[in-house]
Amino acid sequence: MSAFSLYVDRNSGLNRLNPLTMLALIGFCLVAGLALPGAWAPYAVFLLAILPLAAGGRVLRPFLSAALKIVLPFAVSVTLIQGLFWTGGTPIVHLGPLSLKREGLIFAAQSTGRILAVLGSFLLLALTTRTDALMIALAQHGAPKSLTYIVLATLQIAPRFQAKANTILDAQRARGLEVEGGIGRRVRALIPLTIPLVLGSIVDIEERAIALEARAFSRSGPKTSLLVLRDSHMQRIGRWVLVGGMIAAVILGIVLRR
Amino acid sequence: MKSIKRDFTTLVLALIPVAIAINIAIGQIVVLLKLPVYLDSIGTVLVGLLAGPWAGLVTGALTNLIWGLSGLNPAYTPFFYVAAAIGLLAGIFGSLGWARKLWQWLVAGLITGVTAAVLSAPTAAAIYGGVTGAGTDLIVAGLRAAGLSVIQATFGQGVFSDPIDKVVSFLVVWLIVVALPRRFRARFPRSTNLPK
Repeated sequence: MSAFSLYVDRNSGLNRLNPLTMLALIGFCLVAGLALPGAWAPYAVFLLAILPLAAGGRVLRPFLSAALKIVLPFAVSVTLIQGLFWTGGTPIVHLGPLSLKREGLIFAAQSTGRILAVLGSFLLLALTTRTDALMIALAQHGAPKSLTYIVLATLQIAPRFQAKANTILDAQRARGLEVEGGIGRRVRALIPLTIPLVLGSIVDIEERAIALEARAFSRSGPKTSLLVLRDSHMQRIGRWVLVGGMIAAVILGIVLRR
Repeated sequence: MKSIKRDFTTLVLALIPVAIAINIAIGQIVVLLKLPVYLDSIGTVLVGLLAGPWAGLVTGALTNLIWGLSGLNPAYTPFFYVAAAIGLLAGIFGSLGWARKLWQWLVAGLITGVTAAVLSAPTAAAIYGGVTGAGTDLIVAGLRAAGLSVIQATFGQGVFSDPIDKVVSFLVVWLIVVALPRRFRARFPRSTNLPK
């Protein structure tokens, strides 16, 4: 696999699950986090489902560090903005001319819970599931093969592109391009950075397409995969139970919110 | 269904991953230059123009899903439907022939930007409490201080940033397409929509 992924191979129970089962688990966390009634439900989902799963997959440490890095800016921003500028709230902490409002802080805490549940679910999937295995599993269940190609090719190309972008950045800087300073100067730097990157890569596409055709890419019919996925009767039942759980969470959310 | 399939030639299928990688790479250059825009839909708009609305839709949606589910930028994943709409709109405006004149194409970018702001505000407000964790949050703060509600302030921030972002993206795509070799352009399904 390329570097364009957070996946860590821990040979844990979660790693051995069929990718579709993992997808169903994540889907359940996501739906439960957003749909369940009660403003604090997302925290419950994060603490009782997502964290234990991360621990069970032996990815707790990378999970927490990634989650902290991503959620913290949102949490700080939402607390400051909604706390300070909540319209007509009860002030509880005074900071000079401004004050933090109780209602705003509660709103911010609830938003942070939803951010934790949603982004935590995505991070958990990224840490425990190989994208290539997931795409093959989806293709086996009827997703178009071209979709598999697009996703897997992107994962290979993207890190090379980032390297190329940095090379172009260095090259243009060496020729005297200013990438720091006033906003006008930085905007002008955009064109000499983006156009070479795009033009240089687009012309390669034709060769890529010929190479694909030479390997029977658009031929219909079954194809052999080198990656063999494990699945079991129990997992198949488990997936349906999780789908049922998602529907139940949505119904519960609608009924109890009235 | 048949007409949708006709847009997805092998050449287009080879273009889409490159376009997604362009979105991600330029999106990161912009972060490096500390510009108040995103420019993470240049590849999406390019595919929409060269290969039609459906290919644009797929490129946009997959950009956010892949970027997010790789674990590198999960905050973008919930907005995959906005990115899909941007690709769809770029393709529709291309099909209407708006790409032949630069000013029309920039108007298309403006409309796409306003649409993106309208579409993304509910999700931004419902999941993220209206913030992005980036510099544009200053606008949200200002609008909240002026007495607007959470959703209004989120929408106001989007209406300020998105149209600028999309007009610049559409301009960059126009410059790219004009610079492409004519023989190469002619191989794409929607080559008749392109500027001279």
